[in-house]
Amino acid sequence: MNTAMNNDAHERARKLTALAGPEALPGADQTWLAAHLETCASCRAFAENARETIHALRAIPIAAERSLVSTTQTKVRRRALELQQHRERLWLVSISCTAVTLFALLSAVALWRGFEWLGARAQLASSVWQVGFLVFCVMPALVAGILLLAKDTHLANHTGSYQG
Amino acid sequence: MNATAFYFESSMAQESTEIARGLRRRDPDLLDRLIEQYQHRLLRYLVYLTGRRALAEDLFQETWIRVLERGHQYKDKYAFSTWLFAVARNLAIDHMRRKQPASLDGLLNDGEAPFDVPATGQASAFDVALRREQNEHIAAGMQHLAAEYREALVLRFQEGMSLEEIASVARVPLGTVKSRIYRGLSALEPWLKGAPL
Repeated sequence: MNTAMNNDAHERARKLTALAGPEALPGADQTWLAAHLETCASCRAFAENARETIHALRAIPIAAERSLVSTTQTKVRRRALELQQHRERLWLVSISCTAVTLFALLSAVALWRGFEWLGARAQLASSVWQVGFLVFCVMPALVAGILLLAKDTHLANHTGSYQG
Repeated sequence: MNATAFYFESSMAQESTEIARGLRRRDPDLLDRLIEQYQHRLLRYLVYLTGRRALAEDLFQETWIRVLERGHQYKDKYAFSTWLFAVARNLAIDHMRRKQPASLDGLLNDGEAPFDVPATGQASAFDVALRREQNEHIAAGMQHLAAEYREALVLRFQEGMSLEEIASVARVPLGTVKSRIYRGLSALEPWLKGAPL
């Protein structure tokens, strides 16, 4: 029982020694550790070795070479430029999308009125001119989709142009 | 004393805020300055973490690119160095995962000796020789330590980080950090007098 307690005390002392770093140990721990080290030669030796090990650790110099630093700075600047250009392109695309959406909305309203007027003039049922309006609106996207799907198929020749 | 501590704390907080602001703007001048400022500390951390100088240099460059790209994620309530080391650590782990599915355990030695101890300057011949010998032994011992112990030791004794900061970088509980430091230091102890049998 006593030996177990002693072992606990040694382990505690060694852990406190190892963990004592930039910030000081709490007062009670520091007092206890100092008292223990006074009486325990093996923990004192551990503390001394730990001190020397830490000193040796700090003495291993690893420095970055100038070329590494300048290469890194160049790469970072280049990447920053790429990101900035990407952001600018994204901004342009966003503005274009917004403009296209607004124009599409406005022209859709105008077209709707136009089809309505034509339908009335031609005395067509409202469902007919409404279908006509829908086909007219969807047609460009439909044609573009068909052409894109037809790319690299038997409809396109090797130069990429479409056969008639 | 309290006024001095307050001054340092507030100036550090102000610096962190400026860094966070600059990183959100992706300010290249700020990044240049940060690369200069943290060059040795970051490289040293990566060399200890990976155990390989060449790999550490590659990761050094990747880390700064990542800092540029993800700079908006930096929160100024943390020290910049803590975030920087966490970024570097994640990249090192990603690198090892690509090579083999493992965490830091994959960062083992492959015969390279990255912790070369250069000849020390003047001072008493015997002391210098003794110190140099000890440093060489410890450098050799470091190569035999597991990566997580090396990491804990370098962050604690070279970077002077608090236990909480180390826990934050390594993303492990405080108890694990304490245990790694204690075990790492204990494992290095036999190396102080030379390679253990």
